[in-house]
Parts: sequence; structure tokens; C-alpha cells
Amino acid sequence: MITEGSALIKVDGLYKYFGENRVLRGISAEIDKGEVVVIIGPSGSGKSTFLRCLNLLEEPTYGEVWLEDKLVTPVDPYLHPDVIELSKTYQSLFSAAKAENPGKSDEALKDELIAKIKDEDLLNEKHEGRAYKALVKKIYAENYININLARQKIGMVFQQFNLFNNLKIIDNITLAPIKLRGMSKAEAEEKAKTLLERVGLADKADSYPSQLSGGQKQRAAIVRALAMDPDVMLFDEPTSALDPEMVGEVLEVMKELAESGMTMVCVTHEMGFAREVGTRVIFIDEGVIQEESAPDEFFTNPKNPRLRDFLSKVL
Amino acid sequence: MSQSLWEIKWNKFWVSFIEHGSYQKVLEGLQNTVIIAVAGLLTGIVLGTLIAIIKVVPGKNPVLTFLKKLCNLYVNYFRGTPMVVQLLLGYYVLFPLLGIRMSSLMVCVVIFGMNSAAYVSEIMRGGLLSVSSGQMEAGRALGLSYPSAMMRIVVPQAVKNILPTLGNEFITLIKETSIVSFVAATDLCQAFRDIGASNYEFMVPYLVMAIIYIVLVLIITYMVKILERRLRRSDH
Ligand SMILES: Nc1ncnc2c1ncn2[C@@H]1O[C@H](COP(=O)(O)OP(=O)(O)O)[C@@H](O)[C@H]1O
Ligand SMILES: [Mg+2]
Repeated sequence: MITEGSALIKVDGLYKYFGENRVLRGISAEIDKGEVVVIIGPSGSGKSTFLRCLNLLEEPTYGEVWLEDKLVTPVDPYLHPDVIELSKTYQSLFSAAKAENPGKSDEALKDELIAKIKDEDLLNEKHEGRAYKALVKKIYAENYININLARQKIGMVFQQFNLFNNLKIIDNITLAPIKLRGMSKAEAEEKAKTLLERVGLADKADSYPSQLSGGQKQRAAIVRALAMDPDVMLFDEPTSALDPEMVGEVLEVMKELAESGMTMVCVTHEMGFAREVGTRVIFIDEGVIQEESAPDEFFTNPKNPRLRDFLSKVL
Repeated sequence: MSQSLWEIKWNKFWVSFIEHGSYQKVLEGLQNTVIIAVAGLLTGIVLGTLIAIIKVVPGKNPVLTFLKKLCNLYVNYFRGTPMVVQLLLGYYVLFPLLGIRMSSLMVCVVIFGMNSAAYVSEIMRGGLLSVSSGQMEAGRALGLSYPSAMMRIVVPQAVKNILPTLGNEFITLIKETSIVSFVAATDLCQAFRDIGASNYEFMVPYLVMAIIYIVLVLIITYMVKILERRLRRSDH
């Protein structure tokens, strides 16, 4: 029942509502090791929300996110037919349906009811009985990964950099490795300095974030995430807050990172980067994946009319 | 007023102050004033930060909601009643009922601390909210727990932002200590009142008292400035 694919990240039936605002409406995706997945789409279409659901900065309304074979989100009962079957809702619907259609096979009824319960969102956690709860708990217990542990494996780079303003660059980078990875200060600093050198910021170790340019800040923020040796890096429009002359230096770092084999998920408006570095491009609009394909196919032969319209505006 | 009258008043004060040894009382009062204000502020910062954090923690679990309500009640009580009332209630009602026996100085420290916590919590809450939410998010995204990210990243920035206001709170506390004589503790104000009463000459003692308060406040203001400058290193 629980899939153990080769995907590094697996997203299953992801929905995210902010009150009445239905931002993500059923996204499923798999990201394999070494892929560079580029996500594009109009502003407000839910790209950031999608990315933030991957490391649970936002908690999905429905759906599950898996990191390798570990469950990052809570269990979504709608994704587990055997859980639905144990619910009181299902059982009372089943006996009613059975009485109504004595001729129908149990299997056919079951499929029908499970589909109905999913469609109409009929489960009510609090009233589904003990067996239901026990199974949900069991699935969770067998698969969950502590969220702080999961986040250590998922690096994130923000549009607004979000370097810690109260700490020097070097301390920005070493804080998490020292605190969470049990590294010694010396060890962590040495590693930080090597990484800083790689992005051309060796001389900025003792500066505060406010003393850096936007491009330098973003490169330092990338280093901060890399210092934790993540399995995957998420980028949320890393160049959108930069002056145009600084975009290149950040994209260059990202390109090198991709070439080094890092798995990356990048929300960006840099179509050149998507084309050149991406291994797959995903177009999100109105909270669903409208199209996804390899960059060549994606840009030369877009099928979805919304994508065509979008590309005609940005290219 | 003639020169000679001033001299007479000054001499009276001087005799009482030095020769009758009441400077000792002033020193004791000064010490108590500083103890109450410093201990009160420190208690206020620790307790106030805790209250502020409880108030800004997102989430709807019942325990948290209850704690938030409790904090609101606490803050409303301490900000909504005069400190004299809190002091009297603590000294004559609350602590006796609880069977706690404390020196009047200790009672003052506790009540000042609790009062200050209410004010500091509001100041701190503003400070915490002034730190961009991206700071907490970046910390959490690295895998830091909420308390770690709070203490290592958000609180230090909040404290820097509210330092001038905290300095004002300290000054307020220093000034408010003048009410502790209500529960028989000696502070600066009480010491000078006693000197005046000892020879029915109040003018000079109260003048000297006012000068000491002003000097105290100026010293604190200066110290806060220095501290601010040191913390501002990170925004060149
Ligand atoms: N924390 C939030 N609370 C309420 N609404 C939000 C929140 N975050 C995002 N939204 C809404 O979700 C929608 C999608 O936002 P976002 O994911 O940031 O889009 P994109 O990154 O594609 O521009 C927007 O309408 C936005 O207003
Ligand atoms: Mg966005």
C-alpha cells in the first residue's frame, strides 16, 4: 500500500486552502535524485505554496509528501482506501447501499463509495471510530520522519534571502551544522569557508548580512543551505529580488550546483536557466500542474493553451 | 531667599546627613532602589519574554489557547491597576494568604518584577512582531526547532529593536520605587523623607533627592546608548 519508489520526493494529491482561497488543487509529482526541476507559472498560481508544502513551512490541507520512503506530512486518510474502509462513515454508507442494491457486488460498491467519500470529503476524523484511528496512527508511526530531521535534508533558498541579520555570515552558515549536526565550531567554520570560497565570498565571512549586496546575500544564503549537506535544494525565485546585474552571479552558482549533481527544485522566471539547466519543467497555473516535460519539448512544443499564452508573455 | 537662610538650611541638612550618619540611610535607600529596579527589570525581561512568546506562538491547541488567555489576564491586571495597589495587595493579602513570608524588600522585588513583566511582554511582543517572519522561516527550514530559532535568531533581533524602550522601562521602574515605603521598605525617597522629618527641614533633602534621581536616570540613559551602539554593529 505504501509506495517505496525511487523518487527522492514524492507528492501525492496535494491540496492547500487558505480559508476560501483554494491555492493548490491536487498536485502529484515525483522528483528523482539528480533532477533539476524548474517550476514556472503566473504570479499567485501557487508555486511558492507548493514549494513550502514540501518542507512543511505550509501544512497541506490534503495530500502527502514523502521524502524517500519517509512521510513528511501527516497521514492523509483519503489516500489510503483501507483506512477509508474502516471509517464509520464508510460502514454506514456501505450498509445503506447494500440494502438498496442487494444485487451489486461488494467490490463494485466499495469502489463507488470510496470514490464518493473522496469526492465529497465525507470523513470526519473525530467520528470515525477506533479502528480507523488506530490504522492512521499505525501508518504514521511506521513511516513518519521528524519534521526537523526532514528539513535538515531539504535546503531552501528564499526570494528575500532571509539571512539571519543578527549573525555574521560565517555564523549564519555554521549555526545549524553546529547545533544540529554536532559539528565542532572549527570543523563547521572550515567547511563554511570552503563553501564560501566556492561561491566567491571568502572575504565576507566576518561581515554582517547588511554589509553585502543582494547577489552576495543570495550566494551566502545558498551556502548556508549547502552547509547542511541537503539531499535536495528548493529555490523560491532566488533572483527575483535582485538588481539585474546581480542575477547572473546567482544563476551561475545554481548552475554549478546542478552540474555537481545536486537535486534541485527551482521556482524561477529565468527561462534561460530553465532551458539550459533544467531537466524537467513544470507549469503550474490555478493550483494544478498544467504541463510538464523536458525543457526542449516544453519550450518548443507547448500543448496547454494557458502555457502557450504564458510563454508568449514571458519569452 | 537670602544667602544666610540657604546656609542655615544647608547646614541643618549637612549635620543630619554626615554627623548624624543619615547618609547611611540614603545609601541603603539608593541600594534598595537599584536592587528593586534591576531585579525587577531582569525578572520582567525573563517573564515578559516568556509571555510575549506564548502570545505570538501560532497554533490553536487547547493548552496554548488557555495559556494565551492566562497571559492576557495577567497583562491586563498588571497594566490596568496602579502599582501601589499591586504592592499593597501582594504584601498584605496575597503573600500572607499563600503563607509566604518574605522581607519587604523581597516583596517589592517580586511585585516589581511581575509588574514589569506585563509591560515588558507588550514591548517584547512588538519587538518579536517587528522581526520579519522570513527569519523564523529560514531557521525552521534549516531544521532548527521553534524554540531554538526563537532564541538564537528572533529574540536577539527583537531585543535590539526594543532596547530604547526597555531603557525607558528601567527608568520607569527606578522612578516607581518611590512607592515602596507603603510596605515599609526603605528606598531613596523614604531615606530623604526621614532626613527631612528628623529636623523639620525638607527643602534641601528633597532638592538633593531630585538631583540624585536625575543623575541615576542620566547614567541609565547613557548605558542604554552604549549598549545600543554595540548591538548596532550588525547594521552598518
Ligand atoms: N500564508 C498565506 N495566507 C493566506 N494566503 C496565502 C498565504 N500564502 C499564499 N497565499 C495565497 O496563495 C496564493 C498563491 O500564492 P503563492 O504560492 O505565493 O503564489 P506564487 O508563488 O505562484 O506567486 C495567493 O493568492 C496568495 O495570496
Ligand atoms: Mg512566489
